[in-house]
Order: sequence, then C-alpha cells, then structure tokens
Amino acid sequence: MIPILIVISIIYLGLLITFSLVTRQKEKDTATYLLAGSKIGSVLGIFTFAATLFSTFTLIGMPDFFRTHGVGSWMFLAFSDAAMVFAIISVGYYLRKKAKREDFKGLSGLIAQCYKNKFAGYIIFAGAFVFLVPYVAIQIRGIAIFLNATFPGAMPIWGWASAMVVIMLTYSEIGGLKAIIYSDMLQGLLLLIVIWIIGYNCLSYFGNLDNLFIKIEEVNKDLLSIPGPKGLFTPQFLIASFIAIMMIPFTQPQVVTRIIIMKNYKSLFRMAIGVGVFAMIIIFPTLLIGMYGAIHYPEASTADFISNVLISEQSDFIAAFTVIGLIAAAISTSDSQIFAMGGELRSLLEGEDAKMLQITRIAIVFFAVTILVFSLLTSDQLVLLARTSFAGTALMAPMIFTGIFATKKLKMGLPIFTLVCMLTFIASLMGLIPNNYLGIRLDLILMFSLVLFALVNYHFFSEKTVPEQVISEAK
Amino acid sequence: MPSNKILWRACCIAAIFVGIIGFTPLAIPQNIFQPKLLGIPYPLWVSILLSFLLVFLTFLGTKVHPGKNNPDEE
Repeated sequence: MIPILIVISIIYLGLLITFSLVTRQKEKDTATYLLAGSKIGSVLGIFTFAATLFSTFTLIGMPDFFRTHGVGSWMFLAFSDAAMVFAIISVGYYLRKKAKREDFKGLSGLIAQCYKNKFAGYIIFAGAFVFLVPYVAIQIRGIAIFLNATFPGAMPIWGWASAMVVIMLTYSEIGGLKAIIYSDMLQGLLLLIVIWIIGYNCLSYFGNLDNLFIKIEEVNKDLLSIPGPKGLFTPQFLIASFIAIMMIPFTQPQVVTRIIIMKNYKSLFRMAIGVGVFAMIIIFPTLLIGMYGAIHYPEASTADFISNVLISEQSDFIAAFTVIGLIAAAISTSDSQIFAMGGELRSLLEGEDAKMLQITRIAIVFFAVTILVFSLLTSDQLVLLARTSFAGTALMAPMIFTGIFATKKLKMGLPIFTLVCMLTFIASLMGLIPNNYLGIRLDLILMFSLVLFALVNYHFFSEKTVPEQVISEAK
Repeated sequence: MPSNKILWRACCIAAIFVGIIGFTPLAIPQNIFQPKLLGIPYPLWVSILLSFLLVFLTFLGTKVHPGKNNPDEE
C-alpha cells in the first residue's frame, strides 16, 4: 500500500498547492481573502458547506456511533441535518439580508453592530473560540490516532497532528478562503467516493440489507431500536441534539460565512438542497460500515475497528485513498474553522484593512497552534465532543436570531444572559455543577430559558421607539 | 392559485410538523423494530423517510420562497 499511498499523497498535495497558487492574490483585502469575493456558485457552495460540516466526525465517528448505539444514530444526525437545510432557506435568507446591510466581515462583528455594542460581539467570539477549539482538536486527534494505529512506528501522534496543521496553514495562509473552498471541493468528493466504496464492500459481505439486519438481530437486537444498547438515544438527547445541529448554520462562524458568501439567493437555495441530499448519501454508508463493525468488531476499540474496516480489509488502492480521504476530511473541516476564527477576530478589529488583515493572519497561526496543543490533550470521544461543541454554540442562537430579526433597539440583557448560560454549561461540562435537573438535561433547560428570556426581553423591555434608519431598513 | 407567501407558510408548517412527528413514539417507538421495510428496521426506515421528506420540503420551499426573485441580489 505504501508506494500507492506516496503517489496519491503527492497528487493530493500537488492539487492543494495548485489551488493555493491559483487563488493567491498579491493585494490581499478582507473581502477577497476572508470572504472569497462573496461570489460562490451553488456547486462549489454544496461541496464547501458539506466538506466543512462532514468531517472526521462523519467518516470515523458515525460508523463507530452506529456500531455502538445502533440505528438511532440516523435520527441523531441525518434527521437533524435535514431540518438544518430547511432552516438554511428560512433563516439564512434573513441572515444574508442583515449581513448585506451591515457590511459583513464576520458573525461577531455583525452581532456587535446589531446590538450597537462591541461586548455583544466579544461574547460571540468567545463562544466560538471556546466551543470550536475542542471540536477542531478532536478532528485532528481522531485522524492522528488512526494514522498512528495504521502505521505504527512511522510517526508519533503529535507528529501526524503537526503535519496536518502545517499543511492546512500553508495553503490557507497563501490562498485564503478561496483556496479552502477549492480544496473543500476536492476533499468533499474524495470523502464521498471513499465512504461509498467501503460502505458498498461492507454491504456486499452480507449480500443485501435484509441479511445485514437479520445478522444484527442475532448479534445484538438492541442496535435495531431506540434508545440503543446503552440507552443513549432518549427523546431528550435526540431533541437537544436536533436543536444544536439545526442551529449550526447560524451559530458556527465557518458555516455562517458560507451562507453569506453565496452569489445570490438562488445559489443559496440550491446549495441548501444539495447539502440535504449530500447529508443523506454520506451518512447512509456510515450506517453500513457501523453495522458491519457491530457484527465483526463489537468489542474492538474505535481505532482498531476503523483501522481494520477502512484499511486492513480493503485493497491497497482503496486503503491508500481512504488514508488520504481521512486526512482530507479532517483538514477540510479544521482549516475552515481556524480560518473562520480569524474572520471573527477581523470583524471586531477597526483600522486600516491591510494592517488588520495582517493581524488576522498572525492570529490564524495562533489559533492553529492552540488547536494543535489541545488535540494532544483532548479525549477520544469524537461524536460526543462534537455534539458538545454544537450544543455550546447553539446557546448563542437566541441572541443571534434576535439580532437578525429585531426592528427595535436592542439592549445588552440578552447577550449578558447568554454569557451566563454559556458559563453555566461549561461549569457542567467540567463537573462543577450537575448536568441534569428534575430529570431534564441542562442544555435543554438553558436553551429554553434563553428563548423565553429573548422573547420576553424583546417584546416587553426593548425600546419601542424605532430609529428612522431601522424603519427604512425593515421596509 | 394561492400566493407564494401562503405556500411558503404551508411549507414551514409542514416542516415543523415533520420535525415534531420525528420525536413522537410514532417514529421512534422504544425498543421496537418491527415492521421492517425491505429488511430495514422500523425506526430506521421511518427516520430515513422523514429525513427525505424534510429535504423535499426544502426543495418545495425554494420554489415558493418569497425572496426567490429578490432583485437586490442579482
């Protein structure tokens, strides 16, 4: 496999270098470097959105989730993703409208403008940083552990992690968001092809779906129903995950950016449908791989299961493509998130564009190093850590939605309450306070408290005198 | 012929309805996997069906969305 892997790696790296050189611009400014000129068509949009969304979490995490928790994993991710694309066309429309009016540079800057207070923007930036760093770190860690298990002795985990961070920093620093978007296209396609080949191979082993599920029934029939063998998929868990995932396009900066930079509404709408279809066709093979794993590797560790099914049992050619596909999956999500954090910082900075962009580029390197360090320290619970990240950023949704839809002058009550809720959530994650009260999950309690607070605060305590400018904008 | 605004609202209501149905025992009954469809256990085929329904509603939604012909965007 090694010679084939070397050839494919060279082709892959060559394509990444080509993308960064083609998209490189001598005169960099925020609009072209951080927002790719905001003229992305629907096809590129589908792949960049999908590659950002579906990552190591999908390729490694979801097969393992299906293997461990059963068919309820579909409800957990695919159903939530389907609802998310409907949210893109409904709320995304207004988000773009608002962003156009406010000269969008980043979500934090946009919210600071909506609330006419920089502190509101700082809260968004802090929330994105705190909850995205672990999410990006687990992508890198997941692949580094996998590569370490697949090629024992070749490089330590930190070596693989560092190599990936250096690759993504190099092409994103040179080519900006445009280079990331083109590489997302390549990585999205690679991810789709690889996962389908392996999924098909897993299904072929049993002949058809009927035989596959009959075998599962013999091995562990709890995998075929909800809440699954470990009782994870309670209605509360599924509802909280549904809300968290549905909010991703409006609360995670790398995804918000992709909604804003679409060429027009038509491209946005087509992109949303495409992402919905992409979600279904990429999650289905992970189901096949997971079910295959439940029969053949029920007790194996995640790394052993993935390494065996994705590499050892495949032909050398497919195995080599899988390794590159996995690296591509981790890189395509991580680079977008690191870059988006840079964009968030830029949106809060004021001053000469070239100088601010320079600061942003240095900050991107700082974010990447922080993530690298975190990736060496974090846990291996890929899907559950990702879900925590989604739940954390989702807490910002009521504040962001109020900012998007408000026609009244907004006060700082909601941003401050959002900060309190995020700190409470972090305290529960650290084990300082319980994560369940009267049988209800804390993330659900916090989310509903925020929604209630936002509604009451906006309708009863916001200034009814509408400034002239807001009236004309609302019209 | 109903206006786009009414059709769009109908799509939104339908999407909310499907979203709610997804979390009822109708779609995800506890510890039940019969009846199967093409060998696929009940909670899985129902959730796949509901997911595709949501994507289809998104498709319909884009056809009647009040902002689809927004001249400001071109």
